[in-house]
Amino acid sequence: MDRKKATILLQSGELDKALSAFIFANGYAALEIETTMWFMIWGYNCLKRRRSLFAPFRRKVDPAREGAYRVLETDSVLQPLLEMLNRGGARRLPLSRLNLMGLGPALFDKLLKRKGIMTLEELIQSAVDLGVKFKMCQICFDAMGVSVDDLIVPNVEVKGVSEYARDTMEAQVNLFI
Amino acid sequence: MTADREVDVVGKACPLPLIELAKAVRTLQPGQTVRITGNDPIFEESIVELCREAGHEVLETDRRGRTVCMLIRVRPEPGRR
Repeated sequence: MDRKKATILLQSGELDKALSAFIFANGYAALEIETTMWFMIWGYNCLKRRRSLFAPFRRKVDPAREGAYRVLETDSVLQPLLEMLNRGGARRLPLSRLNLMGLGPALFDKLLKRKGIMTLEELIQSAVDLGVKFKMCQICFDAMGVSVDDLIVPNVEVKGVSEYARDTMEAQVNLFI
Repeated sequence: MTADREVDVVGKACPLPLIELAKAVRTLQPGQTVRITGNDPIFEESIVELCREAGHEVLETDRRGRTVCMLIRVRPEPGRR
């Protein structure tokens, strides 16, 4: 029998939702189910390397590398501006409820540690170790001016909706978070 | 080789090339051909995937820089598979 497959699409940029997505991904992967995680819109905020406020404006774009999946000619000041306002980072995500201007996530973090629950960063690392595949939405990458080098996970693939459709049809389960 | 229909999606991003190709195919008879031109970074792989899923045949792929021109033959049996 073919290996079972699962796909998870993370569209939200909040800590609680990213935690859910990565807990399920780790669960599937631990059960030897071939797991693919898709990321779009705010979803990949949890995978972003935290950089300084003005780093997006100083970043040099490598046309050979980034041009493979982005249309660099249509870039404008909006891409770095959006990156500046939407810096992300697994440790800096807000909560979808009771964010309390940043106090919520800090308390949440304490709560997880006390209860022995893995933090988002640990879950991401463990997903990488268990062989979860990471695929990013190409139009989101292009519109928001993100490079695969900005992400903390290796071997990221940048793909389109046709590949997503095929991945989900081949999988027995698809989660949209 | 001339195609029965030409579709130009240069400058358009995913999923528009897929939608335009699917619409064009619905106006054609089985065995007729459609030529689609686009320059989206994932244009070629998207079209290849659509054709594989829908059962169309890619006859030619002409790459000029980023712009890719593909000739596609509509699947023999139209409608639901």
